[in-house]
Amino acid sequence: MKLKACHCCGLVHSIPDHKPTERVYCSRCGTSLGSRTNKTKMQNRVAAFTLAALALFPAAVLLPILEVQRLGHHHRSSILGGIWDLFAHGSYFVGAVILVFSILLPLGKLIAMLELTWLCSLEEKHRARTYRWMEIAGKWSMMDVMLLALLVMLVKLSGLVEFHFGPAVIAFSLCVAFSLIATLSFDPHAIWESE
Amino acid sequence: MDTEKSPAKGLNASEIPIALVLPGKANGQTKWWWLTALCVIVSAGLFYYSRQTAGEPIVIEFLDGYGIKPEDRLKHHGIDVGEVEKVELSSKMNKVLVHVRLLSNASTLAREGTQFWIVRPTFSLDSIGGLETILGAKYLAVVPGPPTGLKADRFVGLESPPVISAKDGSLEILLDSGTRGGLSNGAPILYRGYKVGNVLQVGLATDARSVRARCSIDPEYRDLVRTNTKFWNRSGWRLDIGLTGIKLDADSMAQVISGGIEMATPDSPEPAVNTGHRFVLHEEAKPEWTQWQPSIGHGELWNRLENRLPQPQRMALRWQERSYGFRVNRQLTGWCLPLDDGSLLCLKEQVVAPESALGGTVSIEVAGLSWAPDSIQWIADPGRAPQDPRIIRFRPTGKLPDDVPLWASKNISSAPAIPCNAVLASDDPNTSVSLDAGRFVADGTIWSIDSSVVLPNDLLGVPVVRAESNEVIGLLVPSLKSSMVVLIK
Repeated sequence: MKLKACHCCGLVHSIPDHKPTERVYCSRCGTSLGSRTNKTKMQNRVAAFTLAALALFPAAVLLPILEVQRLGHHHRSSILGGIWDLFAHGSYFVGAVILVFSILLPLGKLIAMLELTWLCSLEEKHRARTYRWMEIAGKWSMMDVMLLALLVMLVKLSGLVEFHFGPAVIAFSLCVAFSLIATLSFDPHAIWESE
Repeated sequence: MDTEKSPAKGLNASEIPIALVLPGKANGQTKWWWLTALCVIVSAGLFYYSRQTAGEPIVIEFLDGYGIKPEDRLKHHGIDVGEVEKVELSSKMNKVLVHVRLLSNASTLAREGTQFWIVRPTFSLDSIGGLETILGAKYLAVVPGPPTGLKADRFVGLESPPVISAKDGSLEILLDSGTRGGLSNGAPILYRGYKVGNVLQVGLATDARSVRARCSIDPEYRDLVRTNTKFWNRSGWRLDIGLTGIKLDADSMAQVISGGIEMATPDSPEPAVNTGHRFVLHEEAKPEWTQWQPSIGHGELWNRLENRLPQPQRMALRWQERSYGFRVNRQLTGWCLPLDDGSLLCLKEQVVAPESALGGTVSIEVAGLSWAPDSIQWIADPGRAPQDPRIIRFRPTGKLPDDVPLWASKNISSAPAIPCNAVLASDDPNTSVSLDAGRFVADGTIWSIDSSVVLPNDLLGVPVVRAESNEVIGLLVPSLKSSMVVLIK
């Protein structure tokens, strides 16, 4: 007998035999418990969103994101340029924090997600490890926090300085949104389920 | 009952709820891949967009940087046209090299003759300027060079703003005097106390025997300067203290500070002068000079030139073609020259739509009238009509409006074998471009134009007029790389 816990409410179910066209739902809360056909579909969807986020990532990081104008002084920088400025001015700690938590970890998380759902080049044991690592990285990747910081700045500083968002803001917001959707649609059970 | 629930015995299979099984869709593909493709396109588009807004890089040398720094702006008429990218010292440590990236729509600034200077607060007796830069950032200002200037990417910046930029069409003359007499750059030139020009530059003559002032007379007043015109210095003020009281004679504060030149032309004026004419700058006016009252219709020459150039009309060739299954409107705009026999002169490519055009959709529009190409009467060879297959003369059905200026067909002639000075005449004389003979290279039925002369595509088909004889000798085919004149043979 095959048992499976609902990942939403935790109730353990026995999964009856069913045709591949049928879907299995939790009897208490109605959440889909997934099936083999759904696994490839889920993986494809996650991979699609992950790739979309990855495609936008270079534009979000490299293109100018913010242009500040104050009394005729202009300053325009991208995220990576901003980190470079921080390093150049000796703020190594802050620069490193932003570099790691806003660029490296989100990027690592996206790549790990892509590996788990699409490339599938690793053995099962290593994939489980990748998943655990991704869970930790996901907690610390702060791209969405940075987006929030930009918005706070827009509200708080708009009276003092004049600033314009650059083209990277579009890429950045979409990138955050798609990586969120990818994380939400990802079902880790798929990693252990036998092919 | 209690035995069934005992943990020792494990969970009874009947206690475990059975999951619901409902029919669902079986396809293993997701619908979301289009989103991935879209994001790749968006990302590439953003990169392309931010590359495109950046234009040409140029380098400007300054002796002093005055605190200019990266991200400061280059402004023309107060509008951003570029941005400082980098400021560095030259290898000999004696100059400041300012690297500027022009905006893509301002790349025409990168040509010889363009002048740059750093705007900073300046205080002097005769002017206070650059006040906005006390608190705000310094910026670079620019005066574009002449439109015929060669392309350039390295410039020497001015230390101070150019006092005057001579207007297009103004008359430049040289005044020699024994001493400087209080003259300085920017001093006004007055005719009856009315300002008609400026001193551009005061300096020693090359042989140091006199002081030479380079002066510019505004275009509308150039006819006032004749070969017998007298110039005298009216610097500073004159204080006469006599029995009747004190008389202070000064015209304006600016004149008191930077000096001024007064001019007068005799009652019987001699011919007008050309740029480069030399005059003597007298120390003082003779009494009769101030009595002269010639009547000179100034600006007359300017009007005459305006009337003598042909005035081409806007012409558009419109057609539709199929692109990816859709009908797309296309058009080619240019100029054509209406002639006094009711025909129009233009390039072949302006009236013949490409083969991809859909039948029945082609129309030619001039001066608010529109014709299908079939209804047009082509003129094969009436008298002096052009025989070059690239130039076409045709008589449209219907009459052009009466206010359209016509060009006498006797003033069309074949081009000389050796290129000559020529004017590219668009409908507004101010936008007409004069080109030196040296800018053309004769090549069979065309003259190719030096690639350094950048002509906008908009000038397609404008008449090219021989400067000496004022006859139309060809039509222009502009291109960003190498423009050419198709000659009338």
